[in-house]
Amino acid sequence: MSPQTRKWIRIGFAGPGAVIIALVIMAGMTLWLPRGAAGIDNLVLPLVLVPLIWAALFFHACLDSKPARIALVALGLFALHAGLVAHKFLDRPVAKDERK
Amino acid sequence: MIHLPKEETKLMVAVHGWSGILLGLLLYAVVLTGMAAVFAREIGIWSAGYIENGSVFERPIDRVVRDLAARTPARDHEGIDLFEVGDNNLGLFFHHHETEPSGELVNRGVYYQVDRDGRVVSEQRGTGEDVFGPRNDDALSSFLVDTHVRLHIPNPWGLLLTGILGLAMLVAAISGLLIHRHLFKDIFTLRRKASPVLVDRDRHSVAGTWSLPFAFILAFTGSFFSFFGTVGVPIVAMAAFGGDQQVLSEAVFGDPARPDPRARAIGNLDRITADAFRRTGEAPTFLSIENFGRADSAVTSFHNPGTGDIEPMTLVYHGATATFDRVKPSIGTRPSTGGMLAAIMGPLHFGNFAGLISKAVWFGLGFAMCYVTLTGLRLWLTRRRENARSLAWLDRTVSVVGFGLPLALLVAAAAFLAAMPLGSAVFWTPAAFLGACATAILAGFLSATNATLERVLQIAIGLLLIALPLIRLATGGPGWPQAIEAGQPVIMAVDLAMLIAGGGVLWRMLASHRSGLAEHPMLQPAE
Repeated sequence: MSPQTRKWIRIGFAGPGAVIIALVIMAGMTLWLPRGAAGIDNLVLPLVLVPLIWAALFFHACLDSKPARIALVALGLFALHAGLVAHKFLDRPVAKDERK
Repeated sequence: MIHLPKEETKLMVAVHGWSGILLGLLLYAVVLTGMAAVFAREIGIWSAGYIENGSVFERPIDRVVRDLAARTPARDHEGIDLFEVGDNNLGLFFHHHETEPSGELVNRGVYYQVDRDGRVVSEQRGTGEDVFGPRNDDALSSFLVDTHVRLHIPNPWGLLLTGILGLAMLVAAISGLLIHRHLFKDIFTLRRKASPVLVDRDRHSVAGTWSLPFAFILAFTGSFFSFFGTVGVPIVAMAAFGGDQQVLSEAVFGDPARPDPRARAIGNLDRITADAFRRTGEAPTFLSIENFGRADSAVTSFHNPGTGDIEPMTLVYHGATATFDRVKPSIGTRPSTGGMLAAIMGPLHFGNFAGLISKAVWFGLGFAMCYVTLTGLRLWLTRRRENARSLAWLDRTVSVVGFGLPLALLVAAAAFLAAMPLGSAVFWTPAAFLGACATAILAGFLSATNATLERVLQIAIGLLLIALPLIRLATGGPGWPQAIEAGQPVIMAVDLAMLIAGGGVLWRMLASHRSGLAEHPMLQPAE
């Protein structure tokens, strides 16, 4: 991998990548976080933690020496959380049909 | 101490520098106004000359609420917010909840302002955003807060911008920590006799490192507030409830009580405020009534954090019987990790969890952040000065913003004091600010050197700081004996702070002049 390619992978995942993936993680977290004693932890914690999630993704993209690992971690988190959200939306009509 | 490899350290230095240089001046504006906004309430009392001490909730409010409810459409009885406005007046917002076509949840209804004699002095209809604009007597503190929160840019763009600035500050704070090879040594190192570059670097490093935890907290909580409603709530509502923000709001803030729409008069609200006072030791800061006139009505009383606590206190009462129901967490119906974390975001950002002491600490650390931002910009420019003379315009811009912005805020305060008795402060406060900004920019173009520009702006700042208490008195503000007699020592305290700060600025200018220094020693780039 050329230094130029490594640089652009880093910029991509630290810049727009970190923003998009942090927002997708925030959405996905609502579906797997425990609801807690008041039943709201899964709704509130993602809202509170999103600046820190973004910062973690940003600094990981800046500091990890292996661009492949940056891509793997970021895309893995993206796929996991986007998949959870997609599953929730795809699941909804089926649930309605079942009720009918 | 964190030891990064050489390449990563170089990258962090670049990230630290560019995060500051790209957004540093806007960040400076947000931090400077935020620093002043820590004392927004005190500045409001000082500028408008409020001499009524105590809370509006220490007076009877029950009759006023019943009378206004009788003249307000029944659908706006769904929620009533009660809070103090101006000099001990009562604000009441009768409203119902609506969802805009965009999916945004809004409150729409009638907003009354009632004076201490129970007369309605203002009645407005619309959404919360429509009716809660600045008033003649709070135009200055509103202006400060609005500049800090969204830089006067319409929502959601203003909030998004300040949220991005918060993230830039987070990056600058974390990268600043990572590039310190000798953190504990650096925070005690001030080489006074070194070269000007090293002196500036040491000062930047010491001020930045000591205020690092504070910068992290401010940046984190600030970006949370900016992104909460603009991005966070719509996305979480989409993921959890198919985009229904009303359902999300009910899930997070809702009352688990079973709905009971039968008509039933509300209990005595004065009994509730008295009981809340007895339980918490202070009057409520805010009162909210849900389902006024129904059997399931509930009254929530909000209070500042108690002694030794950081989370605000919230009490819930049965509205129909005016009896105490329970202590409720600020967020959620039962104590929880998420609710507690969300609830302490406000006190951590505003620094109001331990009264004036914590506010003073937050103000001081905010000042350190302003200093760090400006000196950081200057260091970045100094390092590139020899290689890029074309950056002289940025150097000049830093001087104009660094000293022009505080000057413009002081001019806005002077304009407020002059215009408030005439009833035109809402117009003149921002107008004077813009005029002063334009003058500072013009001075930036006309000044022969940065040193001259900075000296002139600093002298103007010092003179205005000294003049403001005099302008306040000349325009009919209460004198010190009257303020103390009324139990408002904060008026005298703000006067004194301004006189001392103004005297200090002028003294420093005089000392610099005497010692033959051509430029401000703290912000001087190396020649």
